[in-house]
Amino acid sequence: MKRTHIALIIIIAVAMGAIMVSLGDASTYVNFEQAERNPGTKYTVIGYLDKEAAMNYDAQANRFSFGAVDKNGSKQKVIYHQPKPQDFERSEEITMKGFATDSAFIAEEILMKCPSKYNEKNEMAGNQNSYVN
Amino acid sequence: MEYIGEHLLPGFIGRLSVSTAFVSALVAMVAYYLNARNENAGYRKIARYSFGLHSLATLGIVLSLFYLLLNHYFEYDYVWKHSSLNLEPRFVFSAFWEGQEGSFILWLFWNAVLGLILMFKAKDWENHSMMVFSAVQAFIASMVLGVYPLGLKIGSSPFVLMRETAENIGLPWTQLANYLERFPAFMDGTGLNPLLQNYWMTIHPPTLFLGFASTLVPFALAMAALIKGDFKSWVKPALPWAFFSVGILGLGILMGGAWAYEALSFGGFWAWDPVENSSLVPWIVMAGAAHLLLIYRNKRAGLSAAFIMSLLSFILILYSTFLTRSGILGDSSVHSFVDLGLSGQLLIYLLFFSVLALGLFLWRYKKIPKSKSDDDLSSREFWMFIGSLILFISAFQIIFSTSLPVINKLIGPEGLIPILSENKAPHLDPIAHYHSWQLPFALVIAILMAIGQFLRYGKTASKVFWRGISIALILSIALASYTAQVYYLWSEPLYLALLYSGFFAVFSNLWYWLISGKANWSFAGSSVAHIGFALILVGALISNGRKQVISRSQVFTENQAANENIQMLQGDSLKLGPYTGVYEGVEMEGQKQFYKVSYFNNPGDSEPLFQLRPFLQFSDQMGPNPNPDTKHYWNYDIYTHITYSSELEVSSPDGFGNEAEVSLGQGDTAIYEGHFVVLDSTLANFVGNEERQEILAGKLTAHLRLINPMGTEFPIQPAFVVENDFKEFRDTVLAMQGFKFRFEDVDPDKNEIQIRAWTKVDPIEKPYIVQKAIVFPMINILWMGSILMVIGSFIAVWQRIKRS
Repeated sequence: MKRTHIALIIIIAVAMGAIMVSLGDASTYVNFEQAERNPGTKYTVIGYLDKEAAMNYDAQANRFSFGAVDKNGSKQKVIYHQPKPQDFERSEEITMKGFATDSAFIAEEILMKCPSKYNEKNEMAGNQNSYVN
Repeated sequence: MEYIGEHLLPGFIGRLSVSTAFVSALVAMVAYYLNARNENAGYRKIARYSFGLHSLATLGIVLSLFYLLLNHYFEYDYVWKHSSLNLEPRFVFSAFWEGQEGSFILWLFWNAVLGLILMFKAKDWENHSMMVFSAVQAFIASMVLGVYPLGLKIGSSPFVLMRETAENIGLPWTQLANYLERFPAFMDGTGLNPLLQNYWMTIHPPTLFLGFASTLVPFALAMAALIKGDFKSWVKPALPWAFFSVGILGLGILMGGAWAYEALSFGGFWAWDPVENSSLVPWIVMAGAAHLLLIYRNKRAGLSAAFIMSLLSFILILYSTFLTRSGILGDSSVHSFVDLGLSGQLLIYLLFFSVLALGLFLWRYKKIPKSKSDDDLSSREFWMFIGSLILFISAFQIIFSTSLPVINKLIGPEGLIPILSENKAPHLDPIAHYHSWQLPFALVIAILMAIGQFLRYGKTASKVFWRGISIALILSIALASYTAQVYYLWSEPLYLALLYSGFFAVFSNLWYWLISGKANWSFAGSSVAHIGFALILVGALISNGRKQVISRSQVFTENQAANENIQMLQGDSLKLGPYTGVYEGVEMEGQKQFYKVSYFNNPGDSEPLFQLRPFLQFSDQMGPNPNPDTKHYWNYDIYTHITYSSELEVSSPDGFGNEAEVSLGQGDTAIYEGHFVVLDSTLANFVGNEERQEILAGKLTAHLRLINPMGTEFPIQPAFVVENDFKEFRDTVLAMQGFKFRFEDVDPDKNEIQIRAWTKVDPIEKPYIVQKAIVFPMINILWMGSILMVIGSFIAVWQRIKRS
């Protein structure tokens, strides 16, 4: 057996390790209800902005709170200890990484998906005619 | 029907060029194939002329698209989406490659340039390698074909008119001959994303795509060798290309990092974002491939590994293309492209070349010469081989973790083979996840770079080795200890180990060049590149490992740890790390809002030490975009960006904020700020021309009731008027309650209307900003290392060309 073969075997072992650990470390997508079953455990929740709920940013305390609806339709108050993200009102989908507490979901990181420009053109040019007929 | 005001000729030339480029690449491929099987001057001529025609057609595509962009022909969808009348001419390049179609064209262009060089330089390898090249070009050209045979979409063309796009076809306005004049929306494009309006967007994509293109040459040569069954002599021509690829792709990636650091507010130069990762991984593999080729060139060993890595680098480029453009990354990346409906085509492209290349390799594997003797433990080739394997495993770890969305599609609960019980989401803390793997790899690589230079091919006498390395070892221990002392790195063993090995690699390579290379520039390639890479590691370690957020908020809420963003009221002095910061005020310059912040050494100083002006850039489509401002000192940077400002608080100029939107059907009730809102009815009035069955104007009024907590009712009747395709809102303002209501739109499918409501907001007493400020120590080591690594790679290319 050559030394390079031994090296190859070690490399394959490390690769297997990387696969197992990466899959194990990865978080999972859940809804608010599942997150609430394990308060304090970090999860990724995908939802969208609840436009009917109050949205409030307290710059002094640096605390942004809003209402979110997850993919199952359940609503939850979300607190984010960061400034209000730019253009938050226009977000189509919000990915929230964080954990549940008794009173609210504490988001540590928020990613937003904003509507693409393509939709706006339809509003401006095409769909104007659609409600007339 | 004849449309008024359209410019059809340049678009026609563009499309013709695309089809010519596609067809001539196919012809070149077939002719090269025939010529490879049966050498024939006729075939060769056809092949070369076809590839020449292909290159000309590619140039034609580039020029047509530039022509459309420069002349603001907004009837073209691509021009409308990526440029506007007020776009400065110097950003026309950025507009060119902002979209996917443009970036495919850029890739096609660089491949054609490199293909032409290869055609004249490859000699014996021309037939087989150019056959592969032409096949790749046919695939890329097909990405911008934009044809629909049998209802299948093949490619997306940048030369499509807006009225011809799938999303617009059949809409009433496409039937109007004068649509360009009639609708103001077509007079001007939506413009270039303001985030991309800077010089980095002009230089980063072409460099990166040249890097992508450069990986094709070693791939094509390796494929040629496998097809031909001549496994050895391709290594010599492939070597300079491999180093060129390491240099130019590395430059492209580092430019991306510099851009992120300087002009985007990601808070650093590298965030392990999937899009960043997917260009880094082919580079790591190419670096491994270049070293394996070097081993074979010097010691006739490790040829199979050299083959597999050379093939993999290009395949990984294809895989990255698939990841970033198929939309599969979805919500795991902030800056991947949207799906253009090409994911199937991209997948075929990826599978075609990976199955072909790996199949060919396995088929030929037995015949590839292998060295019989075992490498000596004291030989350079053994440790270089180990280093390449580590690069491979490092690349594997990154791409595997980046591919979680793909893994969900394959083995997730709704995947092809459901193994996992739930879909895997990206790591909650990606930086910690990647660092836990990549730091140890980097550590080993640094040590190998340090000792490798003093090992000889074959066997090294231990006396020679230690004599060479001892001085570097002593110097590096001294400097690393000093650095660890200055930057308090003693408590973190992994950082400390990387620091020592990084400095070790720097001094060892420097010493080697001074002693063995006799400080001769023509031998400097490997030393300079290695010093550069080691400095990148050291610079990243110190600047990131010891970065200090100096904008920690002093206010604690709900037991949350102090926040990294600080609120600064205008005129108030605040402690920002070692400085006293004062927010001076806001200035508007065009679409940019500059926030001036002064930094003083001592609170009482009259003259500030320096001022920073981070800004928010506004645009119609994107809203405000923060842009950082950084104070550079030789040994540290103060990097600041605005995360919020009081200027953003009131969304409408009349003092109303807290926007909310609700959909209501008839009789529905909504709750807004403690009040009930009831929709009683909706009234529509139209003015029309009965003879021509046309509606000229219409007014829609919503009859709503607002009921306050006491039960008192207030009628509100917001309305909107549509006339000449313009929509005008007639909002209702309730001054007493401080509410404003707008009848936004009608949803005829659901029989609902949309109402938007605002509350009067108190005028802000004192303007403020919320900003984040980070000190990055020694980040200049990182930039210096980047430049050295690129220079070193190009010296290596020059060395290889000169020697052959």
